[in-house]
Parts: sequence; structure tokens; C-alpha cells
Amino acid sequence: VKDDVAANPGFSIPEHRRLRVARFAQYILIQALIAVACFFALRQSLPEPAARYLVSEFSAKEGGSERAITLPHYTSSRFSLDDPPLYSGHFAWPGGEAQGAWSVYLPRFSNGVEVAVNGVVILDSRRDPVANRPDRNAPEIAVIPGSLLREGANDLTIRLLVWGPLTGFLDSVYVGPDQILRPYYEQRTLLFVTLPVVFSAWQAILAVILAIMWAVRRHEPAYGILAAAMALGVAQSFLPTAVEQSQYSRLNAVLITSAPIESAFVLTFAMLFLGLRWPRYGALIFAPGLILVALSLFGDQALVSEAFVLLGVPAIGIYMLLLALIVARAVWKRHDVASFVLGCAVTVVLAGWIHDALAVLQMTPDRRIFIARLSYSVMLVAIGAGLTWRFARALNQVDSFAGRLVTQVRQAEDKLKESFVREEERARAAALALERTRLMRDLHDGLGGQLVSIVALSERGDAGVPIGDAARAALKDLRLVIDSMDDIGGDLMLALGSWRERATAQLRPHDIALDWRALSPQGLPVHPELRPWHVIQIVRLLDEAVTNAVKHADAHRITVTIETLADASGFAYGRITVDDDGKGFALAPDGAAAADKKAARGLRNMRSRATRCGIELELVSGAGGTRVRLTLPRRFPDSDTAGA
Amino acid sequence: MTEVSDEAASQAITVLLVEDDAPTLWRLQDALTKSGFEVTAAATLAEARACLTGSGPKVLLTDLQLPDGHGIELIRETRQRFPETEIMVISILGDEASVISAITVGATGYLLKDAFPTDIAQTVRDLVAGHSPISASIARFIVRRTQSQAEPPPGPPLDTVKLTPREIDILWGIAKGFSYAEIAEHLGISRQTVPGHIKNIYRKLEVHTRGEAVFEALQQGLIRL
Repeated sequence: VKDDVAANPGFSIPEHRRLRVARFAQYILIQALIAVACFFALRQSLPEPAARYLVSEFSAKEGGSERAITLPHYTSSRFSLDDPPLYSGHFAWPGGEAQGAWSVYLPRFSNGVEVAVNGVVILDSRRDPVANRPDRNAPEIAVIPGSLLREGANDLTIRLLVWGPLTGFLDSVYVGPDQILRPYYEQRTLLFVTLPVVFSAWQAILAVILAIMWAVRRHEPAYGILAAAMALGVAQSFLPTAVEQSQYSRLNAVLITSAPIESAFVLTFAMLFLGLRWPRYGALIFAPGLILVALSLFGDQALVSEAFVLLGVPAIGIYMLLLALIVARAVWKRHDVASFVLGCAVTVVLAGWIHDALAVLQMTPDRRIFIARLSYSVMLVAIGAGLTWRFARALNQVDSFAGRLVTQVRQAEDKLKESFVREEERARAAALALERTRLMRDLHDGLGGQLVSIVALSERGDAGVPIGDAARAALKDLRLVIDSMDDIGGDLMLALGSWRERATAQLRPHDIALDWRALSPQGLPVHPELRPWHVIQIVRLLDEAVTNAVKHADAHRITVTIETLADASGFAYGRITVDDDGKGFALAPDGAAAADKKAARGLRNMRSRATRCGIELELVSGAGGTRVRLTLPRRFPDSDTAGA
Repeated sequence: MTEVSDEAASQAITVLLVEDDAPTLWRLQDALTKSGFEVTAAATLAEARACLTGSGPKVLLTDLQLPDGHGIELIRETRQRFPETEIMVISILGDEASVISAITVGATGYLLKDAFPTDIAQTVRDLVAGHSPISASIARFIVRRTQSQAEPPPGPPLDTVKLTPREIDILWGIAKGFSYAEIAEHLGISRQTVPGHIKNIYRKLEVHTRGEAVFEALQQGLIRL
């Protein structure tokens, strides 16, 4: 109840309960309607031939006594194979060929008949296995050979063979033209012989489907149990009743008396299928069936038949009642289509069973037509429909689940994409801001200072001061910054190529030669992590080295050596060396140039730049010239290591 | 490299100089005149066109941003009317965007506005001698374009499919700062053939437009060739 309320939060509990009661009442009403419909349907008697062909006045010789009776007639004995009751009667044959063939038609009898016309046996129903089953309502028809017929009165004798479990029964007998009687016979055959075969075939298919279902879904034993019930039902239908003792008669008897086991299986299935807890002594429901099986294995046939009627049939009735209750409970609790349909089917079967029980007890005017087995077909149809409904619903659930999953995945994907785009934008904005900050600092350090210096120089108005040099330096710096922003794909050589051009142009007026020595063909290793600001720092370092050589060392030749070396672990790294043949300068003990303040500041700048890029800077200066050596890192740092 | 040191040889060389900034114009004109070139100066596109009525000059040096139009138009017109004229762009920064567009319409190099006077004269002399100069940054731009990339890189459209592997190797050498001699040695070719290769590279990068519409679309970046 709680779950349902939770599922329908709009309902208050009393209202919900009222709704449930109403629904259940509806169910009960429908079952009652079905029962009434069954009652009226069973009241309808089957069509019969015209009364003028009816032969109902017989003299019956039973147990040594002979008396006149009117068919239908029930015998008093349940077993009469030794001395079967003999019914003698007469019928009139008008004679002449125009009549066509005449037949004897027996709509219903149990258990067997031997029909003779004018003392000649024309039919023995024991040869027909279907007719031997007392639970079937098999009719018989036999054509009377023309040579036997006499014009006027003819003798008709019927020997009723009874072998239990019920008393013998002989319904009205018809004798008349075959073409008139046969359609009635065919009608009954269709209803009581052909139709059960069709349903048995359907049951066999169900058994196979259920067995496969159980084999694939072992955690649902309900299907396996139902498959067993179906298999038993099929075996019962197709096996002939053992009239004479044969090799397999015991086995046949076992299977034919297994109807209580079949019903118990159906009951078990219903309990499992409808989610009932298995009761403590639940296995007891198999007891009647097992007792019957044991009896049919070891007891004699009469006893088995007796036991079946006394034990088996009531057991089946009780199971049907239990089934009806279980299904009603399921309808009350779950009110789903499956239990509803099953409930209707159970009601039909139960009605059939009650009808049959009354017929056995001879409490109905009916002529011993058993319909329980036939009504069971309704249940088979219901089970088939229920299974199909469940299968279709499961498919729908899978579909909707898949649909929901697809939607959810798409939503998650969209969200992820959105956040990814946001994150990407954020990262791009951050990178841009960082790049911008660096560019600003570079422009401030280089171009800004030079422009200010140009302004200062021009304001002095002194013709001798080198405004041009400062302006050129500013332009050079602008070109450097622009150049370094270009994508060089981590190949520092591409940046050095431009630098060489600029340096050569810068050195030409000073008559200083620039030697370019690339010791390895590819020059320097490629650094995918190389950023524009690294390039700017490296090029500035080289610029400072060249500027120092021009301004302070008085050099004539500058040699730039580019090489790729490998460290102990085989990792390649680059080295750029700038040598000049100038006069050099003295270095203070701390490594800074002592002499010239401006040069000292330049050297300090170089060290700072080198540190920021992870470059190892080596400065050697002496009388023979100055060497600036940049040993490039294996990997350029992402951010400034010096922070400045 | 054939040096044209003889002043009499450069006497006949006519240069049309188009530059709207007067001081820059004077500076360039001075540098060229002192080296013996016969310089005609123009400050606008209209003046330059007026100078092109007769026979074409040997050399056209033009700025790109002109008061009454774009230098690209002048280069294209000159290239169509006077195929023998050598064309160079005057640029402040030598940036790829302007230089490459000029190359695609027929220019064969650029001259920096702040170049030293001797360098200015030397560059023009080399150009006349058939040595089209190419800078490391331009070479770099071209070779980066030859590398297959999923997305076209920023900058002017450039079609590099006609370049041979040898020409691309030469461009790589230039981009990495190697001299012609070093490149020739490395590629196992004669040093004298390198300028010819560079001239070919320029010719191959030139876009021979069939109509005004295509040219306009190209300029506006609507189509990529």
C-alpha cells in the first residue's frame, strides 16, 4: 500500500483504499458474470438428430435381470467387463435403395460399446483409443452393412463395457440414414476430439517456449514449473488409456493419473509468478498426485481408477479453488492485466470442474459431458496471452529504458560539452591574459624604454647624440616582439634565422662580421613547449651579447655556434655560443662585470633572463675576447622561475 | 653574386619610388640617388599611375598603405603591364601579412624603411641582377604553410602546392638562418643556382588572377587558393 501511495502522492490513504475496493468488487462482479455465462452456456444442449431416428426403448439385461429401460441409462456397476450389460432394441428400416446407407450413431457412452445389428457386430469402440478415455466425450458412428438390413423391424443390441472409474452410461442411440446422422457425429468429434488435440498441440508449444524461457532465465523457476505442468498435460492427452495390460501400461497409467500433479504445478507456478511467499507445507500439494502415481505403479487398475476419482478429482478442484483465491489476492494487491486475465481463466476452469463434479455425482440432468479438460484450454490461452503481454511489456520497458538512457547520455554529453567549452574558454582567456602580461612587460622593458630615450635625446636638441641608434633599436625590438609571436612550432632555429638577419644588418655599419656555425644539420632540438616569451628572452640574450661586443669590446668578428649535445642519459639539449674577438672585460668575483656600470647592469639583465627560461648562462671574458654560452634546458619552464 | 659596383652600369637603372611619408621618401630617394639610380618619386597611387604611362621603370619600390589606395593594386597593374619590372614592397616591419600579399600579386621581396642606405642600394642592385632577396621570416611563413595542417593558419592565403621539395628545402635553410653557400653545400647543389630557385619560388607563389572578382575575393579572404 505504501509503495502505491508513494507512487500516487495525490491520493489520500482512505481514498486510495476505496478505489482499491471498488476495483476488486469490479473483478468479483466480472468473475460472477463469467460463472453465470458458463452456466448458461453449459445448459445449452448439443444439437441432436431428428427424434424419428431415436431408438430409446431397450430391454436391458444387467446382472442376470432383464427389464425395460429408456435411454439415457446409467448402470449400477462400475465394472462389467466380465458380464457387460446388454441393451436390446429394435428399429424399423423402410427398405429400398433410395434410403442410402444407414448408420448407428452413439453420441455418448462410457466406457465402451459393442454394437450388433441383427446379431452381427458392426462396431467395437475399444478399438478407438480416443473413445476409451472416459474424460473425453468421444461419439461413435457405424455404417450398417446393407446386407444385414431387413425391411421392417431390425434388432439392435448394444453391449456396454464398463471398466470404471465411473458407472456405465449410455446416451440415446440414433439409427438412420448415414448422411443425416454423420454431420451430428462430425460436430461432436470436432468439439470433443479435434479441438482437444489442437489445444494439446498449443500446450506442447507452450511447454517448449516456457522450457526455453526457464533455461535462459534460471532465476525465474516459475517458468520451469509451468513448462513441467504443460509437458505433463501434453503427455496425458496423447497417451491411450490402457485397457489391456501391456509393457507400457503402467507408465501410461502413471502419466494419465498425473493430472493432480499437473494442477499442483500450475498452482505452484501461480504462487511464484504472482510473488507469493512459498508456505511452509507447500510441498503437500504434490502429495495426492504422488500417491496416485505410486498406486498406478503398484496397485491394480480398478484401484487406480477408484483413487483417481476419490482423491485426484477433488484435489484438482481444491487446487482450482486455491488458484482462484491466489489470483484474487494478486488482483487485490497488484491489479495488473496478467492476474486479471488469469483470474477469468481460473473462473472458467472452476466452472467446468464444478459442472463435471456434478455430472459425476449424477446431480445434473446433463448427459455426462465432461468439459473440465476443454475449459482448461481457456487457461492455456490465458497463459499464452499473459506471457505474450509480459514479453511485450518487457520489450516496451527496455525500449523506454533505452530511450531514457539515450536522453540522459545526450544530456550528460551536452553538459560535459558545455562545461568543456567553458573550461576551454576560461583556459584560453587565462593564457591570453598571461601572454598579454608578458608582452606588455617585454614592450615596457624594450620598446618603451627606447622610445622614452628617443624623446629625451630629441629634447636635448644636440645634433651629436645618436637618436637614430635608439630609434633603430626600438624598431628592432618591435620586430622582435612581433616576430616572436609567430608560430614557429617549437623550432628555435626559425627564430634564430630572423635574428641572424637582424644582427647582420645591425653589425654591417660597424664593420663587424657575423660568423654562423651550425654544428649539426638540424641545429637545435625542437621544443614543443617553447612559448613566444621564451623566444623573446633568448633573442634578447643574444642581442645583449652582440651589443656588448659592439659597444664595449671593440670586436671585429662575432661567431655564433649552434649545436645539439646529448647528456649522460642520452637526452638531447641545445647550446648557443656567442664568441667575439674583442678586448674582453674584467669580471668581479661575484660574476658581475665590475668596470662599466652600464655593462654590469647589462650582465645582470642577461642572468635574470637566463634564469627565467631555465637557461644556463656561462660568461667567460679575457684578453682574447668574450664568450657567452647559453645551455638550453631539456624542457623550457611553463612559468617564470625567477618570478620577476 | 654578381657585384654591380660600376656606377655607369647602374646609371640606366630607373626606379619608381612610391611612398607617402615625406621623410621616408627623402631618405630612400637619397640613398638610391647617391648610388646612381634614376629615381622617380610618387606620394600617391594616382601619381604613381601617372608615372607609368610611358615605358615601365626597371624597378618599382612601393609602400602598401597609400592615401588614395593600396600598393597591392599598383603592383598588380605594373606586373600585368610591365612584366620586366622588378617589384619590391617598402615595409616598416617586413611582416608576413603585407609582404606575402604583395608576393602573390608579383612582388619579389621587401625593403625595410629603416634599412641602412648602403643596404638599400645593395638590395635594389641585387634585385636587378636577378637576385630576389627573401628574408628568414618570409621563408618561415612559406614553409610553415607547406606543412599540412588541419586548419589553415592565420594570415593571407597562400598556395604552396607548386613548390618542389628542393625549393622547400631551400626555404627551410633560409628560415633557419643559413647562408646560400651553406644551403647549397647541404643540399649538394651549386651555390649559383640558389638565387634562381628563389626567383622560381616567387613566380610560383604569384597568383595569376583571371578577373577582378577573383582578385577582390582573394583580398577579402573570401576564397583561399
